[in-house]
Amino acid sequence: MTEGLNLDYSLLIPEFLLVGLVVAIVGLDLYAPKMKKTWLAYIAAAGLVAVGAVSLGYWDTDDNFANIIVVDDYTTFFRVFFVATAAVICLASATMVAEKFRHPGEYYALIILSTIGAIGMAASRELMTAYISLELLSFSLYVLVSYQKFDAKSNEGGLKYLLLGAFASAMFLYGMSLIYGITGSTYYSEIAVGLQNPTGDFQWAMLMGLVLIVTGLGFKVAAVPFHMWTPDAYEGAFPPITAYLGTTSKAAGFALMLVLFSQAFEVVHDDWSWMIAGIAAATMILGNLVALQQHNIKRLMAYSSIGQVGYMLMAIAALNSDTAQALLVHLVGYMVSNMAVFIVIIAWYNMTGKDEIADFRGMRERAPLLAWVLAGALFSLAGLPLFAGFVTKFVLFQSVWNEGFYWLIAIATTTSVVSLYYYLQIMRQAFVEKPAEGEESRLPVPLLMNGLAAALMVGVLYIGLYPQALFDVVEAATDVLFV
Amino acid sequence: MPFDALLGNYLAVFLATIVGFGLIATALIAARLLAPFSKEENKRTSYECGMTPIGSTRAQFSFRYYIFAILFIIFDVEAVFLFPWAVTLVDASKTAFWEMIVFIGVLGAGLAYAWKKGVLQWNRE
Repeated sequence: MTEGLNLDYSLLIPEFLLVGLVVAIVGLDLYAPKMKKTWLAYIAAAGLVAVGAVSLGYWDTDDNFANIIVVDDYTTFFRVFFVATAAVICLASATMVAEKFRHPGEYYALIILSTIGAIGMAASRELMTAYISLELLSFSLYVLVSYQKFDAKSNEGGLKYLLLGAFASAMFLYGMSLIYGITGSTYYSEIAVGLQNPTGDFQWAMLMGLVLIVTGLGFKVAAVPFHMWTPDAYEGAFPPITAYLGTTSKAAGFALMLVLFSQAFEVVHDDWSWMIAGIAAATMILGNLVALQQHNIKRLMAYSSIGQVGYMLMAIAALNSDTAQALLVHLVGYMVSNMAVFIVIIAWYNMTGKDEIADFRGMRERAPLLAWVLAGALFSLAGLPLFAGFVTKFVLFQSVWNEGFYWLIAIATTTSVVSLYYYLQIMRQAFVEKPAEGEESRLPVPLLMNGLAAALMVGVLYIGLYPQALFDVVEAATDVLFV
Repeated sequence: MPFDALLGNYLAVFLATIVGFGLIATALIAARLLAPFSKEENKRTSYECGMTPIGSTRAQFSFRYYIFAILFIIFDVEAVFLFPWAVTLVDASKTAFWEMIVFIGVLGAGLAYAWKKGVLQWNRE
């Protein structure tokens, strides 16, 4: 049966290397007990960067593995994206994990495993492979969210995430089976061919399949009304994992959606466009309005990320080659800005052990560099000029506008302004409020945290001031989807 | 498929369901109506091979069984995968052979990991 299929294992070398890295990290943790546990983080990050460099060697490749996994510029883009995110998260958790957890090796191993899952979601061109990659990502995240074994909130968040995640997976699977029943294939390209023929009697089955698939993926990216698990999981999780949930997990969901809808379902665009447009509108409105009332920084960032998902969903609703490009641009800008905010939150939590918004008071005096990075990154998330968020939002909104979704853009711009209010609330604490009495002294921010925050800020400014380089890369990455 | 045909195909299932419920209901109602009842305190104690039970019925057992059970299930599932593979091994391609070797290797690595973590040691400090 394998004749005619391309079983070229060399295409999957980056994934094999990641698996090797997982084994190496767990092995080091087990067999070198005297080694300092912070080194595990540095080794993991170094390994991830190396894998990123190897993946770059696949730029301009256009090949596939047995028709189920494609290695092209799109895959390479996401390989580098996910690997870079995971490397930053590993570095950011170095000191805390070494101090707090009894099993530091498994922590990094799970992060790397979930990265493999995320890459698989972007690379697969077949529903079962996509589903298994999705589960690899989700399973690792369920464990990571509840990693603080003796913390009730962490357990609560993990359990809610697990139960709703399993529910979403079941929906996604059922949707898949309906689509398979109508088209007779799980390959994206053959689904597209199957849907081209008039579906006649199966119109309702197809709609049901699409609804279920949209619901399942909506849970994974935390779109309203499937967002209920998000605030609890974000609040309960260990801060670096919260950052990881907000970037990799969402980006992977969108990577999968973009391929699935452009390759398989594009022929029935009118049947799903309205569903996603509706979800996008609800997500933008609810995410940004509920964020206004939050007092815990992690819950606030959870709702802020829900709002951001709404903007990104608009691009899926108005899917064409322009919006796909804009979506990837926005994903990169969002990733860099969001990580910068979270590096500040993590560093602050490490030093003070607090994560309420009111606890950020006096940050400008106590940790000036972190405070300025926080300001820049929050401005970027709100979409103010100079910073990455302005360019990426502008490109995103314009491309969706050109597709005729004027009402969505009206909601998006209005809610953007609303979002500025709650981002400014954090900045008011950091810049205007004086530090609490007895806590005026400078905090000893570790060099690693300052370095990470500064590096991400440079990224935010670079994308904001000179976005052309990013546009070129993204154009090459999405070209392969729209032939 | 027309609705009538659908109904026809499943008629037997519906009938079996109804008859099944009917049988059980008849047995329960008949027992309630016909059987004699006596209220005796000893009837409420738990049954333990004819002896008078000692202690509470809520016995505790070691939580460690749980990890052994999980390890056991993993290798049980491995066996389930191994049987069909072994039956078709002669006709299957070389890839199938090596894929199963990799699969066993992964599970072996998992066992080595559990071993090194000290999970298999019954009396741990």
